[in-house]
Amino acid sequence: MKYYATVDGQEYVIEVGHENRIIVNGQPYDIDFKKIPDSGVTSLIVGHHSLEAVVEEKEGDWQVLIRGDLYDVTVEDERSRRLASARGKLMVEEGEVVIQSPMPGIIIAVPVSTGQHVNKGDKIVILESMKMENELRTPRSGMVSQIMVGAGDHVDKDQTLVIITD
Amino acid sequence: MDISELHIRRFDKVLIANRGEIAMRILRACHELGLTTVAIYSDADRNAPHVRFADEAYHIGPSTARDSYLVIDKIIDIAKRSGAEAVHPGYGFLAENAEFARACYEADLVFVGPPPKAIEIMGDKATARSAVSAAGVPVIPGTEPGLNEEELLAAAQEIGFPVMVKASAGGGGKGMRSVQTFPELADAVASAKREAMAAFGDDSVYLEKMVMGSRHIEIQILADGYGNVISLGERECSLQRRHQKLIEEAPSIFVDEDLRQRMGEVSIAAAEAVGYVNAGTIEFLVDSDKNFYFLEMNTRLQVEHPVTELVTGVDIVQEQLRVARGRRLSFSQEDVTIQGWAIECRINAEDPYNNYLPSTGLITTSQLPTGPGVRVDTGVFPGIYISPYYDPMISKLICYGKTRAEAVLRMRRALNEYRITGVKTNVPFHQRMMDSHRFMSGKFDIEFVENQFSMTDRERPYGMEAAILVALAYHEQSQRAAQVVRTGTRETANWKWYDRMR
Repeated sequence: MKYYATVDGQEYVIEVGHENRIIVNGQPYDIDFKKIPDSGVTSLIVGHHSLEAVVEEKEGDWQVLIRGDLYDVTVEDERSRRLASARGKLMVEEGEVVIQSPMPGIIIAVPVSTGQHVNKGDKIVILESMKMENELRTPRSGMVSQIMVGAGDHVDKDQTLVIITD
Repeated sequence: MDISELHIRRFDKVLIANRGEIAMRILRACHELGLTTVAIYSDADRNAPHVRFADEAYHIGPSTARDSYLVIDKIIDIAKRSGAEAVHPGYGFLAENAEFARACYEADLVFVGPPPKAIEIMGDKATARSAVSAAGVPVIPGTEPGLNEEELLAAAQEIGFPVMVKASAGGGGKGMRSVQTFPELADAVASAKREAMAAFGDDSVYLEKMVMGSRHIEIQILADGYGNVISLGERECSLQRRHQKLIEEAPSIFVDEDLRQRMGEVSIAAAEAVGYVNAGTIEFLVDSDKNFYFLEMNTRLQVEHPVTELVTGVDIVQEQLRVARGRRLSFSQEDVTIQGWAIECRINAEDPYNNYLPSTGLITTSQLPTGPGVRVDTGVFPGIYISPYYDPMISKLICYGKTRAEAVLRMRRALNEYRITGVKTNVPFHQRMMDSHRFMSGKFDIEFVENQFSMTDRERPYGMEAAILVALAYHEQSQRAAQVVRTGTRETANWKWYDRMR
């Protein structure tokens, strides 16, 4: 099976299938890949070069932490790549940005209002948790379409706070 | 012996009025001295190691600190019921609360710390500043606490920007804001006041001039009940984010022997000015011309005390207990030598790749680095839940070397070995800092972390390996999903299987 993985602006074509052997951009490598039980880490030995990583996936986005560097990786297989080119456009995220609470806490303030235009990086919610105030910022520009909480509300982890649309 | 509301006498049983890593630290010193120990714990801390490690343990209340670790009456009551003769307050919570120190005195308990009066004088920024400047200690321009908003705004104009808003009732970076321009001041004051109220139950704030391009360097002092006060040298604490220290070192690469001696003498004078007893720390801002200004005195044991312990060979917590038991300091200023270099990295449950947002969750693995020259002070263990009720600090990783270079290399090695799963940690931040040229050359000040340091501005060597890992993981995911479809005949059976695999 062929996979297309992109990281730091570079694409790697990776063929997987034969046990302990892969081909990366045409170059073959011997590999050994093991999730270490009860540790949350994955051990990868590539051509006898050994390293440890934490691999996480959330809704199709992959992140790999190796020696303190965090790599964002997108991956497609041949089928999804064919479908994407048939659609004839780049994968652009559309629709809503849901600002969720990253942890339990108390809302201090929501310094935006419904209908307001916000730019990427603007403060959307101020949340108190672990005795400190945290500012939650929007990852994309857009319009504030729904505000679900107000000052003084107790919120749980992953609770929806504000929705921003394009 | 009684020194103005402080009992100093022999004791054999100590109540540790704290939790987490510092409770463990104090327990260790007590056990090494042959003292019996009493732990207190809130609901959230039932499974914590300090509870199991102490000789006795008493439940003190619900998880919020306001209902447990901050309740003086409950602590005094438990001390009495358990027969504890002394109380060690650790840091944070009630450690700098004069009312608590006094309550211990009135309950005939030895408080392992300074007299209530010293805590009061140094706990109020106005009285602290006037007490030390009377002793010849230079101070930073600033206001008294308790000014109303109008007065604060006016004072800020006089002091000149940039200016710092600080909480009168405490430290640890809580209730602090730096303000660059006048229009930002009102919001910053309001925000600092809210945070101070939540952390200390007191929203009084004051202003202080921000000394630019400065370093935060502090001096550790020890004083016994016989009037002997000595300095154990400095700690470099400039690497901070939002006024919370992240990395500390002893000694400081910026401090030469002459500056060390001058700061030491001034610190001893400050301590003597308030009749200080036990361990304390005087914090200074030092500008690029090596002028230093008194910031504040912390009348307690500090988080970063281990780096001083490693370069001086002095066990500060044991000395605290000895002083409280009526012993003279067993060494003089001439006996204190600084050897080698120690660096401490504070490991916090926060994600440096996501604006340092705190991370909460259940710790599933905690694999600590060890080996030569590595020390980890932690209260965390697999199975503990990192909650929003307490500080996000998980542990302190301290490395010692014969030279600074050796300490840095050792810290790199130790950080690579540290494994915590269940929460995100700032280990990657420390790893990047240990690679930073500015850090390695010692060219940093208190602005460095927030304004100049970057997590990602570097050569990232493992892009291909990251791609391979994801391709293999994705491949495995698809294989598993395909297997589910192939095996099993009943639809319900398939769904159950798929769920279990997720």
